[in-house]
Amino acid sequence: MPAEEMGKLTERTRRIFAVSSVAFLAVLAISPFKDLRREWKQYKRSYLRFAQSRPDTKKLLADYRPDIDQIWLPGMSVVDRCTTCHQGITQTSLGDKTVPQPFRAHPSIPHHVRDWGCTVCHRGQGPATEVAEAHESTLAWEQPILPTRFIQASCGTCHYADLPQTPQLTRGRELLAELNCQGCHRLPGIDRPAMLGPDLTNIGTKVSREWIYKWLKEPRTIVDKDGNVTANGYETEEEPRMPKFRLTETELRGLSGYLSVQKAKPFVPYKIDARVVATWSKNPELISQGEVRFRQMFCSTCHSLAVTRAGETKLIGGDIGPELTKVGSKVNPEWLIAWLRDPEGYLPHTRMPRYGWSDEDLYKVTQYITTKLTDSDLLTSVPQLGKPTEEEIQLGHRLFLEKGCASCHSIDGLNPQKDFGPDLSAIGAKNASELEFGGAKIPHNLVVYIQAKLQDSTSVNPAARMPQYNCNQSDLDAITMALLSMKGAPSTSALQNLVVPRKEVAFHPTGSFGDVYERYKCYTCHKFNGYGGDLAPDLTYEGSRAQRQWLVDFLKNPQTLRPTLILRMPQFNMSDKDAATLVDYMTMVLQHPAANPSAVDAKQFTPAMAAFGKQLYEVKYQCQSCHTIGGTGGYVGPNLNNAGGWLTPAWIEAWLRNPQALVPDTIEPRRNFTEDEVRALTAYLMTLRQSIKPQKTASAAASHTATHGAGR
Amino acid sequence: MSLRNWMTALLMTLVGVSGCRKHAEIAKSDPLLAAYDTEVDWTDAQHIIPLSYQQAQGKRIFYQQCVWCHADATPAGPSNRSNLTPVPPLLNDGATLNAQSDEYMQNIITLGGTAMGKSAMMPPYGRMLSGEEIRSVIAFTRAIAQPTYQPPARAGSQYSAK
Repeated sequence: MPAEEMGKLTERTRRIFAVSSVAFLAVLAISPFKDLRREWKQYKRSYLRFAQSRPDTKKLLADYRPDIDQIWLPGMSVVDRCTTCHQGITQTSLGDKTVPQPFRAHPSIPHHVRDWGCTVCHRGQGPATEVAEAHESTLAWEQPILPTRFIQASCGTCHYADLPQTPQLTRGRELLAELNCQGCHRLPGIDRPAMLGPDLTNIGTKVSREWIYKWLKEPRTIVDKDGNVTANGYETEEEPRMPKFRLTETELRGLSGYLSVQKAKPFVPYKIDARVVATWSKNPELISQGEVRFRQMFCSTCHSLAVTRAGETKLIGGDIGPELTKVGSKVNPEWLIAWLRDPEGYLPHTRMPRYGWSDEDLYKVTQYITTKLTDSDLLTSVPQLGKPTEEEIQLGHRLFLEKGCASCHSIDGLNPQKDFGPDLSAIGAKNASELEFGGAKIPHNLVVYIQAKLQDSTSVNPAARMPQYNCNQSDLDAITMALLSMKGAPSTSALQNLVVPRKEVAFHPTGSFGDVYERYKCYTCHKFNGYGGDLAPDLTYEGSRAQRQWLVDFLKNPQTLRPTLILRMPQFNMSDKDAATLVDYMTMVLQHPAANPSAVDAKQFTPAMAAFGKQLYEVKYQCQSCHTIGGTGGYVGPNLNNAGGWLTPAWIEAWLRNPQALVPDTIEPRRNFTEDEVRALTAYLMTLRQSIKPQKTASAAASHTATHGAGR
Repeated sequence: MSLRNWMTALLMTLVGVSGCRKHAEIAKSDPLLAAYDTEVDWTDAQHIIPLSYQQAQGKRIFYQQCVWCHADATPAGPSNRSNLTPVPPLLNDGATLNAQSDEYMQNIITLGGTAMGKSAMMPPYGRMLSGEEIRSVIAFTRAIAQPTYQPPARAGSQYSAK
């Protein structure tokens, strides 16, 4: 090779080497450059500039480091690098909405971010250092950030007990229980009550096969697509209990046939005294008198009826028991009489109290119900079914078990399948890949899945057995929230120790009080030591609050105390003995230590003290803004017209000193009264007396009920 | 020299390419989806107001304690407001309440009407609600005010992104 050519080649090679080494260097240089431009570093620098634009730069940059920040909580397996970008999260001056994200401070909540980290509540991938990795669902990490709208679910993950701060979560848990989800699913903290749906062992003695057919096809309470609930065609706010199942004509015939022959334990018909029937059956006032008694007994505290007023028909009454507008066309009249006399004889766990009935009342009320609360068109859409064939009964029996009916309704001798629906105790922690989306064209994430399943379970699984629930958006969100909170037992022992368990309470006294208490089902409406309903006042300390004689009079003839509350205590026609048993127990046991009725002697009160108290009541504290005395005053607190005949002076004094100590959630403001003022106000209130006149004339009682309305 | 130019050009391209990395977009979040709770505007049922945690706690306390006199409808039926003279302001009455400072609101709730020269019918809540709870009620008041509440401007609080 000539030297010239050789030189050329060398020159070329050298050039190639030079270029490629420069290119190599450049490629190497990209790496530190890329590193410099990493997302989190950009946010770091951006925060630096941001902090410099603020007046409190020094404070904002006190903890600033150019590196990755992380919250490491070994006990809870938390490694959260979120604060790398969310640098202002604990800076109180950055709480304003004008502060750009990701620098805005966290709203003040009971838990501090340094103690808890972020992902414990918000989910997402804590160790990630890129926005998308941390927030979104990726192949390697399927728990994306929980939308803030559902953040209360995270409170419920540890707080099994209800918190006042998380109303939607509490509502969701209530809905899960009210909709009887625990009938088929295992749900932590939501226990199976003794009875979910009514026991159907004797259903054939109560209703006809046609009625069962209609009910299965279209339960009384139905919900349309927008979540509007109607009972018997009337709008209501009641929660639907029996959901709508998707049943074919054959299935309807089979089930109705099977159920109509359930007569294992027939009731014993009760014969109303022939003299009563003879006296009343010809009386033109029979039905109207029956209606009056129906109202006077305050059946509407628990049951609603459709009432037409000013051209508008709506349901008025409570929702503890079923709506009764058309019940006369539903039940067998003989069954009705037997039921009213002894509800538990037919249905062991019913909430219906056992009233003390006279034959006269029983005749009048049942005649009213079977004559007036009817609808001759109720069953016109139902084909004539006749007696069921053996095949229909067999089919019905099989369907009763297969469709899950037996999960909520028991029939003696029938053993339902345990855990009929999937266990939902860890549904909130499920990854999207663990869920069955079927062919549904919806985003694959847990929130969307839960909502789709609740709205139409067949949308994600055509073979779903779950019945159709239509919920409005807020209920749907509440249920979703409650389900998202169910993440199973915490994974680490440190977290396990944080779980705030639900307080289990039950109050089932024994002895003669227990008998009467169970017979009248006092706990359906009243609370005792944290157990019972919240429709009526908490009676935990009733023995401290009310005078003995007042209690007896009230039980014998209940009167409303609060004008704004129209739900009333039913009139049980209680015997003197029962009333005495209840009152003895209340005055002996249901006592508050700070209000011992015998500790304050009403004799110490002088007219001068009462006059001073009256002045305090009317001028200085203006209690009339909430309480009524005479005809004037507000409707927030109880009417005080009979305070002296109702309350014990010890209770009034303790109440004025600290109402919340006696009833924790009362809205009576806690004032700063002096002891003299407390005594003067008590002296004044003890002078207020008004005798309670029993409702003597039926017409007066009827007009009284009509003006106040019978419902809630 | 051409080689140097060549090299510079190459470097610049590479730098340019590496700079072109896709920026992660911060999704514009829907204020209602990002809200702890919501309240329907009292004057316009179509308008839903997103509430923060603090405002939501204020809402809860308002519907327990204050609704009886400071709203026209309550969870238990008609309000007590019409029984009272002077008539208490509605909680969303921005025309009246926006002019009052947070400190004034804190005082009248804590100490009651008498202490602030107003009606004695407004009871003091200082022994019943904590300072935090009262602040949350004020935050809720501000959130639902019509006309909208504008917090007093603080000097230098505006950040101009460069």
